[in-house]
Amino acid sequence: MTVRTRAWRSAVAAALEDAVPGSVDLGALVYVERLLDALEHDPPHIWAAPGVWSGGFGDPGADAPQWLELGPWERQAWSQRVGEWRLAYDRVAAGLPEADDLRLVHEHACEATYGDPAYGGNAGGGGWVRIGFPEPLHPPARGDAT
Amino acid sequence: MSTTDCDVVIVGSGPGGSTAAEVLCGAGWSVVLLEKGRNHLVSTTPPHEPLRHFANDEIAAHRRHLLGPDPLLEPRTYRRSVEDGDHLLVGEVNNLPSTVGGGGVHADAKLPRFREEDFRLRSERGPVEGADVRDWPLTYDELEPHYAVVEQLFGVAGETGTNPFAAPRSSPYPLPPGDDMPMALVTSAAAERAGLHPYRAPTGINSVPADGRPACTDCGFCGGYGCPVQAKNDPIAALQRALRTGNCDLRAESYVTGIVLDGTGRRATGVRYLDLRGHPEPPSREVRARVAVVLAAGAFETPRLLIAEGLGGDLVGRYLTYHHQTFTVGIFPSDRYPQGTGGERGRSVTHLHDDLVVDSPELRGAAAAAGLPWVRGGVVEHGAGHLPVEEAITYGRGDHHLSSMVDSALRRRMWAFTMQGEDLPQASNRVDLDPRIRDVWGRPAGRVTYAPHRHELVASAHAAPLHEAVMLDAGAEVAFSATSPPRGDVELHAAANPLGAAPASRHVMGTTRMGSDPSTSVVSPSQRLWDVENVLVCDSSVFVTSAGYNPTLTLAALAHRAAVELCGADPTAGDAAAGAQSDRSDSRASASAVAERNRS
Ligand SMILES: Cc1cc2nc3c(=O)[nH]c(=O)nc-3n(C[C@H](O)[C@H](O)[C@H](O)COP(=O)(O)OP(=O)(O)OC[C@H]3O[C@@H](n4cnc5c(N)ncnc54)[C@H](O)[C@@H]3O)c2cc1C
Ligand code: SF4
Repeated sequence: MTVRTRAWRSAVAAALEDAVPGSVDLGALVYVERLLDALEHDPPHIWAAPGVWSGGFGDPGADAPQWLELGPWERQAWSQRVGEWRLAYDRVAAGLPEADDLRLVHEHACEATYGDPAYGGNAGGGGWVRIGFPEPLHPPARGDAT
Repeated sequence: MSTTDCDVVIVGSGPGGSTAAEVLCGAGWSVVLLEKGRNHLVSTTPPHEPLRHFANDEIAAHRRHLLGPDPLLEPRTYRRSVEDGDHLLVGEVNNLPSTVGGGGVHADAKLPRFREEDFRLRSERGPVEGADVRDWPLTYDELEPHYAVVEQLFGVAGETGTNPFAAPRSSPYPLPPGDDMPMALVTSAAAERAGLHPYRAPTGINSVPADGRPACTDCGFCGGYGCPVQAKNDPIAALQRALRTGNCDLRAESYVTGIVLDGTGRRATGVRYLDLRGHPEPPSREVRARVAVVLAAGAFETPRLLIAEGLGGDLVGRYLTYHHQTFTVGIFPSDRYPQGTGGERGRSVTHLHDDLVVDSPELRGAAAAAGLPWVRGGVVEHGAGHLPVEEAITYGRGDHHLSSMVDSALRRRMWAFTMQGEDLPQASNRVDLDPRIRDVWGRPAGRVTYAPHRHELVASAHAAPLHEAVMLDAGAEVAFSATSPPRGDVELHAAANPLGAAPASRHVMGTTRMGSDPSTSVVSPSQRLWDVENVLVCDSSVFVTSAGYNPTLTLAALAHRAAVELCGADPTAGDAAAGAQSDRSDSRASASAVAERNRS
């Protein structure tokens, strides 16, 4: 797991909060760090697998993975993407963001606030509660991330 | 390089390829079905159960390319005309999923038929300057039996007799219609007050348990998502039946890069593909097909492959059509609709109206005022997409964020009409190869050059105020319209418009036109390349005109027809696979005879 400094984390948290107020309380920094570290897991934590309801993944009795496998080319694309995002967040943390970096921070803050809690944001579904969005009927597995 | 043999190799496992596979495998033919994307849909080992990879998950489906294609691996490019230079945009352009099942996995599966007039547009309506409007080389009556069978195979849920403009049918829909979205009833009532004729959308989704899979739960994550409970029939049903014959060898992560010809150059003997399970150097493999090669890679990738191979002639890629989409958005007041428009649950769209497809004095007036001989719109969908992440991104960053999300004009209070307007074929609208951009495997990226004809703009301008009035009558406090492709400043749309600057339509058609004359078409009425007659095209590339209807049922009916013609199966057999299982040896013998005939 990549270790990040307190200064890095507080600068990135401030940028996330700036983009979407309230996002950090809902887990946006956790979301971003998990995304930047996604390829340090096997399978990578890119696509959460369906929950127990599916009878497939997420079934605790089936010793099933909680994340879907990536193919080798998908791994390559995600390595490249995450590598670029790490550099972008380093620029944000250093106080030298480019315009595209701020766009990225905004998109990730939105994902973290209103995406599924399986990815580390939207803690307890609080992002959905605050906008009146109903709990999904068939959510991904959340055990690993929440 | 390794080789294997089969009767037919099919490129692409979307609705077109899956339908062809089901027919051929059911008739006892051996099929290798090559799909460049990953398999998230159906197990390749008996009993071929669903893989259950899908959840109600906006991040995986919309933000992280679960169903592919990943634009970092497979970029496409777009420009409006040659004046834009080599390209205007690089990245995602009309991407349909690249995955086992193709776009069928994502689609919310409205499956209307075309009408009689759609096949005879030139004869019925006449030419339009600047467009190449032609009749199809087949009639509705000739395709009707195939529509009827494919509706059975896809388990279409619908209601007969409620759409006054529907073409005649030989049989009712196999399943009853699914639940209505409540707001669709409100906008349908308003549409009726305006003299329009809404009806329940025929949909390839189980309204009741059928075919060993459950009924839809109206989960609300429909258009753009894989179905978590496998209630969408297309194309999992066809793939399962093909696989269960034992005659279908489905190979995911198999990217076809070439068509192998015999010494005459007039006959295909198979295809070459990259086995993408290998990385970083994917091995090249070959599949030899005894009878035919079926291209069902979609109307973007099929011409891309043919152009790269120099096959099909000069017209390949030309006459690209989409549907010119006109969105009329209604924002409904919270005091009257405290629960919002309810689109968080349901199948994205449950009602349609066809009034703007048929001739009317109003459309004639709009055409005359614009100096056009005629104008047609398209089917209008009543529905909503409710994605909170996309909504949040649209509002932009800053302090207004939470109040915008709580007010939720673009999600909770929104309802939309989407007109899938007929797009006239123009030779300059095309798919070709980008001279500078390549995919990660080194092959030239496909490039779209596209601008709408004035006809589409006139139809859109006619539809927008009509639908805004209906929205307001339904109770919206505000109604406005937008189009895709957008009009105006391209830079602004590229950066700020959630639909982007390129056409957002996922209805891609017309790039290997079908016709009776080799000088004006790419494939024959049997959907065979004129220059290599045992290469068949079984996707919407063969469409001669775009009609104003969602394309999938028609492309599947055409794939069914072409496959039946190829193998000599009973064209009216509803479950070809079941027939094959009960008497595989007989069907194998007759299939071999037809194969022999086709070979000679
Ligand atoms: C969100 C959404 C909603 C939609 N809703 C509807 C709807 O309601 N009604 C409707 O009619 N249509 C709808 N569509 C469109 C519908 O998905 C397409 O019309 C349909 O999927 C086209 O089928 P096809 O078999 O021709 O091609 P595709 O579905 O595109 O399948 C082609 C397959 O071929 C594969 N392939 C391509 N090139 C190669 C190669 N070189 N080697 C190997 N494999 C290759 C691709 O990966 C793909 O899986 C919708 C689409 C989307 C995205
Ligand atoms: S709305 Fe129905 S068909 Fe659509 S994804 Fe949900 S359960 Fe499946």
